[in-house]
Amino acid sequence: MLQTILALMKKEFYQVIRDRNMLGLIFLMPMIQLLVLGYAINTDVKKIQTAVYDFDRSSLSREYIKAKTAGDYFIISSDNPPVLDAERGFKENRYSAALIIPNDFSEKFIEKKPVDVGLLLDGSNANSASITSGYAEMIAMQFNRRQLDIPEPIVMRQQMLFNPESESVYFMVPGIVAVLITMITAILTSMAIVREREIGTLEQLMVTPITVPALIAGKTIPFAILGFLEMSIALLFGVLWFGIPFAGSWTLLYGLTFIYLFTTLGVGLFISTISKTQQQAMFYAWFFSIFAILTSGFFSPIANMPEMVQHLTYLNPLRYYMIIVRGIMMKGASVDALYPEIIAMVIFGIIIFTSSWLRYSKRVS
Amino acid sequence: MPDAVTIEKLTKKFGDFTAVDQISLTVGEGEVFGFLGANGAGKTTAIRMLCGLLLPTSGNGTVGGFDIYRDNEKIKKSIGYMSQKFSLYGDLTAYENLWFYGSVYQLKKKVIKDRINQLSEELGLKEFLHRQAEKLPLGWRQRLALAASVLHRPKILFLDEPTGGVDPIFRRRFWEMLYELADKGTTLFVTTHYMDEAEYCHRISIMHHGRIIELGNPSDLIQKYQQPNLEELFVQLISNRSREAADV
Repeated sequence: MLQTILALMKKEFYQVIRDRNMLGLIFLMPMIQLLVLGYAINTDVKKIQTAVYDFDRSSLSREYIKAKTAGDYFIISSDNPPVLDAERGFKENRYSAALIIPNDFSEKFIEKKPVDVGLLLDGSNANSASITSGYAEMIAMQFNRRQLDIPEPIVMRQQMLFNPESESVYFMVPGIVAVLITMITAILTSMAIVREREIGTLEQLMVTPITVPALIAGKTIPFAILGFLEMSIALLFGVLWFGIPFAGSWTLLYGLTFIYLFTTLGVGLFISTISKTQQQAMFYAWFFSIFAILTSGFFSPIANMPEMVQHLTYLNPLRYYMIIVRGIMMKGASVDALYPEIIAMVIFGIIIFTSSWLRYSKRVS
Repeated sequence: MPDAVTIEKLTKKFGDFTAVDQISLTVGEGEVFGFLGANGAGKTTAIRMLCGLLLPTSGNGTVGGFDIYRDNEKIKKSIGYMSQKFSLYGDLTAYENLWFYGSVYQLKKKVIKDRINQLSEELGLKEFLHRQAEKLPLGWRQRLALAASVLHRPKILFLDEPTGGVDPIFRRRFWEMLYELADKGTTLFVTTHYMDEAEYCHRISIMHHGRIIELGNPSDLIQKYQQPNLEELFVQLISNRSREAADV
């Protein structure tokens, strides 16, 4: 049995090494994904291109504008452009905010009458628009306080735990690790089994005394190892390149990943039983991955989803693994903190792997 | 002489279609048995049932003395199978392929090594051992497939159209190798539609529409029907059958 499994594993590794495309996929994919997602998915909103319409043109209004642009948040990209240009500027993405100061700004302000300052935002990116308006409000409040000397009733002193700079890379990289390991193991396992069926070697294997457990072990263990390799590349790259702090225990992360792999390998095995060709397997594996990623909380928080979808996310094993990876890496979470997720993952792993196993044994015999 | 293969009224239906219709035959140990028939006659289906790849619809059978329903695992240890498809790993070298199959049959490392040496000598594969299987010319690939299917020294070897697409010289050489195996006591169960190959067999059966319509020694059959050769015999038998079918 052991000899057979080792022979299958060795064969699988040879095949991966000989396939240049596969090698590229395995080693370059994590780095490219990390680079692209690490830099491109930046939910931090900074350097907002702003058009300023100052109809007051007083020293006070200029001071107000200066206050606005003092931080790194607002950048004046266009000073008093033609009024009608505002909409076009938004459409052409030249600016994503426009600040409008009315001509009675300083007059009313000095008389301590309420004055309206306009802020137009590009709502086509709802997320950054609401963050931008938050900044604007904060700056306006500070300006009021400073100019009017109002004693402050409540002062909020915020501190961001675990990610003091609120860097989205810190948050994205653990997510990418979870996504990578899901996709790689599900796709590669299902494709490798279906490929054997396509080229006829599976039939050749079935006339040998090979047992189903040996066959399954020989077809899944290599991809579990590749999954760990992939994860290690992504983690090292994240830590060395992006300087992401790793707060928790590496052993715990790898141990829980091992549990999670039963789910993804089981899914791969299942997909191989419903696919006739490698393309089909690839398609099913993609479908699974997209569903898993979108409902995992990778891009947007689960709490923001409609209630029905929130319930649906409980059926997604990646949801739990995502919490675990982020928890361990960012917060240094330990087993006690993660046990509900661990239990969910164990249950998913057992159900998915054994049912796929049964389905697979039924199909081959 | 004990029987290597016995089949009794073996039948396989796929829905309404009867691929193999109540065939019965026995093959003796060490015999070279030819399984002839046009494409779609049911040869492959019959062979797949004997190898344990397909479950028969009805009928009985034994392979190497083991029941095809109950002793599937024991059968697998004593047979070899070379399919009409080239079913080796194209991205592995010839050597790696052989090593892989040797390990799957749980042979000891030293045994695998010795047998690869010996087989590659006998089959003239030596210089190709470290080339990727998919880069070998077809004839050599078939020899490699043969080597892979006999590495564990099966008592019975099933060959499903082993020489498809190979030139006559290669085919003759291939059959010489098969004869050497038979001389050592291996029972060979070969399907083919090359009539010149059929003449190499000790006995042949001719299949048509899932049934065995004739069975016997090739020269006896030629005499019986007074035909110049097997090819003519085959054509006559099949066209008779088709005419009868048309008359009904």
